[in-house]
Amino acid sequence: MKDKITISVFEIVGNGFCVASEDGQKIFDQVKTAFKAAQNVDISFKNVTSLTSAFLNTSIGQLYSSFDEAFVREHLSVSDLETDDLFLLKRVVETAKEYFKNPARIDKVLKEENLE
Amino acid sequence: METVESNLSNISSDYSGFKQLIDFYAQNKIYHLKNIHIDMASVLWFDANMCAPFGAILYKLSRRLNTITLHNIDPKVENILSKNGFLANYGHTQKPDTYDTTIEYKRFEPKDGRYFGVYIEKELVGKGIPKMSSGLTKKFRESIFELFSNSVIHSETIYGIFSCGQFFPRKKRLDFSICDLGIGFKNNIKKKCGLDLKPEKAIAWAMEGKNTTKTDNIPGGLGLKLLKEFITKNSGRIQIISDHGYWEFNPKEKIRESTFSSLFPGTAVNIEINTADSKSYYLKSEIDPKEIF
Repeated sequence: MKDKITISVFEIVGNGFCVASEDGQKIFDQVKTAFKAAQNVDISFKNVTSLTSAFLNTSIGQLYSSFDEAFVREHLSVSDLETDDLFLLKRVVETAKEYFKNPARIDKVLKEENLE
Repeated sequence: METVESNLSNISSDYSGFKQLIDFYAQNKIYHLKNIHIDMASVLWFDANMCAPFGAILYKLSRRLNTITLHNIDPKVENILSKNGFLANYGHTQKPDTYDTTIEYKRFEPKDGRYFGVYIEKELVGKGIPKMSSGLTKKFRESIFELFSNSVIHSETIYGIFSCGQFFPRKKRLDFSICDLGIGFKNNIKKKCGLDLKPEKAIAWAMEGKNTTKTDNIPGGLGLKLLKEFITKNSGRIQIISDHGYWEFNPKEKIRESTFSSLFPGTAVNIEINTADSKSYYLKSEIDPKEIF
């Protein structure tokens, strides 16, 4: 495993409004690529002023469709989040784990990835 | 072009206010290439946030190449609907909002999330809404963003998203409405989950537990639950109108469900918050970032 890379949400989204699902997708794509290259990733929320569950579902919750819990826990960290946003992220993560307990959803993701 | 006549009476943020707008839509939705002449003489009160569902309906009618005009508007109503920019869409002059109590009426495309964010920041700063704590303002702002995201993700709207708000200083209440002209809760749940629910039951289903219509690789279903938790703590109110269904929640009277005889052509959500709420919205307990995943 290589050194940890830092992904700046503010830089990728272009401002502190982390609201839209499609902006979350940009973060997800970066993290997924880094994970596939066996990198540790820190997602920095420095200067982020607004967060939604939709953004976090897409950027982080979606990771559980492609990587198992142990892998995410070992390779992902977050920084510069206020306490209430950390609690929001925790709920997003719990929801994602529950969501992907349904094997049909995982099968669907795997099929889509094979088609890419 | 032929002219058709319609009229409205007082419009409040409640079942009867939405019913009037829905009945107005039912009367006029068949028209194409008509002058739709709306007589506002009996409208002596119009909750300004209701410009969002009204504007959405008028937009849908005007997309059928109808020309909308509003007549005989009471001066007080005209003043409010001019200050929030609503009447500027129908040939009237926009007036400055000297008391800073309006959140401007706007229409956004679903891809305009960033502009919507800027609009909310601008509209909530420096307004006559001075008594809201910073924690409450943050929660309110995030709730509005959750609603916008929900419309973008679930509604499939091609006509955009409409929003408008109004601060009522004496009541210490702030109402904000956001509407889309999409497929609505009932049809979305039927399409994605195969559940054929009554319209008001479809709304109730979406507000409960872990229910979500998401079926792809992006989880969901949290946004509306977070909103309900916030409104419970704040002692505010949520109203959701979708298809033929009406669903209202306030922590004191709990849930009220009703059916309209005609349909709203999309979904409207109105949230009302208690601006005098001094509770802390900053969590005191800590969470270790390493324990999240």
